[in-house]
Amino acid sequence: MADLRTAGPAGATDQGVAADAGGTRDGRFARVLITTGAAILTVVVVAAVFAPLLSSWGETVIDPASTLAAPGGGHLLGTDGNGMDIWSRVLYAARLDLGIAVAAVALAVVAGTLLGLVAGYRGGWLDDVLMRVVDIFQAFPTFILALAVAALLGNGTLNLVLTIAAVNAPAYARLVRAEVRTLRELPFVDAAVTSGASTAGILWRHLLPNSLTPVRVIAPLNCGWAMLTLAGLSFLGLGVSIPAAEWGAMISLGAADVVGGRWWTSVPPGLALLVCVLGFSLLGEGLQERADAKRR
Amino acid sequence: MRILRFVVRRLLQLIPVLLGVVVLTFLLVRVLPGDPVRTILGQNATEADAAAARARFGLDQPLWRQFLDYLRGLVTGDFGTSIQSGGSVGAEMALRVGPTLELVVIAVTIALVAATVLGVWSARRANRPGDHGIRVLALIGNSVPDFWLGLVLVLVGYSVLGWFPAPSGRVDPDTNLTPLTGADLIDAVLTGNGPAIASAAAYLVLPVLTLVVGVVAPLLRSVRASALEVLRSEPYAAAEAHGLPRRTLLYGYLLRATLVRLPSLAALVFGTAIGSTVLVEYVYSWQGFGQWALRGLLYRDYPVVQASVLMIALCYVVVFLVADVVHAILDPRVRI
Repeated sequence: MADLRTAGPAGATDQGVAADAGGTRDGRFARVLITTGAAILTVVVVAAVFAPLLSSWGETVIDPASTLAAPGGGHLLGTDGNGMDIWSRVLYAARLDLGIAVAAVALAVVAGTLLGLVAGYRGGWLDDVLMRVVDIFQAFPTFILALAVAALLGNGTLNLVLTIAAVNAPAYARLVRAEVRTLRELPFVDAAVTSGASTAGILWRHLLPNSLTPVRVIAPLNCGWAMLTLAGLSFLGLGVSIPAAEWGAMISLGAADVVGGRWWTSVPPGLALLVCVLGFSLLGEGLQERADAKRR
Repeated sequence: MRILRFVVRRLLQLIPVLLGVVVLTFLLVRVLPGDPVRTILGQNATEADAAAARARFGLDQPLWRQFLDYLRGLVTGDFGTSIQSGGSVGAEMALRVGPTLELVVIAVTIALVAATVLGVWSARRANRPGDHGIRVLALIGNSVPDFWLGLVLVLVGYSVLGWFPAPSGRVDPDTNLTPLTGADLIDAVLTGNGPAIASAAAYLVLPVLTLVVGVVAPLLRSVRASALEVLRSEPYAAAEAHGLPRRTLLYGYLLRATLVRLPSLAALVFGTAIGSTVLVEYVYSWQGFGQWALRGLLYRDYPVVQASVLMIALCYVVVFLVADVVHAILDPRVRI
């Protein structure tokens, strides 16, 4: 490799060296992004798991003596209009927010990948039909679609998982299908066919692992986006409903207090949501950066 | 001429997609739980009252009959009658589209300009502290829940500083603005209503800012990535090596090649912004299309849901079509 480079024209050498230098510096930035993202997510998971130990009030415990109490005193971040402790609820909410978002994205990845694999490998009418359905799904902004599906399905944890999975699955189906369509033309698939491998075997052992590369990069970003969708739905009253602790629903409850200058009912849950989504974004961006560097 | 043929072909391709949307919304809204008639009747309504109301809106007809009636209406531009308000859905929608488009168009325009300037700046300093700073800011912008940002801006801009009006609508009612298009700033300018211009502009600042933060991040990322690609390309290196002036390099080589990919992304972002307006309008009591569609959805107002879903899909696919045409004009390599 090094010989080839020094033998090439001067310009090419420079470019090669410059790209390498950029590559390692990119690599360092990517590592910082991934580490920070993972650290944030670890903190959120710890907060979710150990919420009972980290807070003195329960998820839905009402303190009738203090409603809308300012931070300080017995309540670290004050209380909401129902007299529930904000700090405790911000911690407990991580359970529902993380749980629903991750479950929904996992479901979307599995369903979308399966559809994309089959459509891409089989082609023909099945491919046509599936892709037209995907077209219809993608004729809408995703949040609007989530809104419509949520309004029609009704709320409840399972329905929210299904809603968010449904609006995300088409993108994975399209992504995996595109990968499979290029992969199936490659010689190793022919080799597998001539050596007598079954269709299911080819899909499972050869095409699936190779087509998952873009999915791995997008899934973390998608988790963050799923959390924003969930919170947005709850904010409009179509997601998790009070008294269960969920960041979007908490912001919704505190929305009216903002005009009076009472910040503590809505700012802390939003900040928690922002930090958690940022964790996923950093992780996704870092993985993307690393994948780009590898391709170059 | 080629572009015209492309547009016509694409418009023809849209017909099956939109027809699919029409059939799907029509069926889904009826198959899934929720009864629109119950929501307009009081607690004490009898089964006979409900049946009478159902007959009034044609909901007692067989499904295929209702669908044919709906299609016949659509072809003549009649979207039906709202079950909630009893008014014409088309007329209600016309009043609501202006305010929302005003928000989205202003926000997306500002975001496009900001993303281009910042993205090119960032790419020219690739992997230096300034670039990393911009990228981290973009990631934060990408992660902010827009409805929460709206509330924080109200808290700071109205409750604490008192610089901006309360989140209670689009214009001060005392200015006696005559509505024409529904976009209040344009109406104020058209009617030469000075106080209304100032008021509408003041009401616009916070919601537009909320939307801009939500949409600028993905645009910025894309501009930076394509600018970086141009900067690392051989033609650009050659141009630089020939000692062309900086201005020529920037405007002649970098900017145009960078902007090629922007239209399709702008279309995508336009869609995101339409989605966000549902939340942002709710925060600022904007009374636009988003709030109207949301109410229709919550009350299972079939004609309103059908009309708004169709409208959004139409808007979305047309914006993508426009983006493809602009792309073809910007990039001579594109064959359409």
